[in-house]
Amino acid sequence: MTADKNIELHIPSVMGYEKIAMECAASMAKKMGFTEDRIEDLKTAVAEACLNAMEHGNKMDTSTKVGITLTVEESRLQVTVKDEGKGVGEIVSPSIESKIEGKDKTRGWGIYLIKSLMNEVKFEPSPEGGNVIKMIIYLEK
Amino acid sequence: MTNRDIEISISKKDDVSIINIKGDVTAIAGEAIEEAYQKVSADGANKILLYFDKDDYINSGGIAILIGVASEGMKNKQKIRITGLSSHFQKIFHMVGLTKYTEIFPSEESALKEF
Repeated sequence: MTADKNIELHIPSVMGYEKIAMECAASMAKKMGFTEDRIEDLKTAVAEACLNAMEHGNKMDTSTKVGITLTVEESRLQVTVKDEGKGVGEIVSPSIESKIEGKDKTRGWGIYLIKSLMNEVKFEPSPEGGNVIKMIIYLEK
Repeated sequence: MTNRDIEISISKKDDVSIINIKGDVTAIAGEAIEEAYQKVSADGANKILLYFDKDDYINSGGIAILIGVASEGMKNKQKIRITGLSSHFQKIFHMVGLTKYTEIFPSEESALKEF
């Protein structure tokens, strides 16, 4: 596979559609030779990034889209998830103890999972407006 | 498109109430898990097994529901165990710390043993 191949898709801000992005990323990762474990990690990270974009970026406005770009390089896969709005959800590290004790709401795990499962994660504003989450997963040989 | 529906059923083995979970464990679908938990609790369950399917899709919304169940279980002094998860989601549950409050078992048989 040659380097720097881009694949783009756009999904509506409707829960459930993140599965399309998950399967697309998984399919590419499988083609690149990622292990099953890392493909599952990627799927979860992509799902959470899409859900974050739908909920916090696009406020579940069904007229908006979430853009996903897969950028293939020789030894890594970058997945960029872009929304049309503002806000990326909570970036603070969640505490299960606080949630179990009722001191904190039980939600808020998406960003934590993305950062835990991917090799690199960056959050940045999009030049066209909206937010971008860039996730990179390394192909381990 | 919606998430695949969740199928919840309740069964019992000896004094253990089993909540069978198959499908998409998300914030919306996960409400059915919460309802099942409330039902078995109302029936007096002290030992509860959450029995997942290895093909279940679980996202952070669903994890939040399960944390809520674990939290209520602690308050109600119930013992909650988990089985049926794929290895990936066993790892996810460890990562978020849910295994501090619920134990994961590799099989129904091992989960029911010496509950």
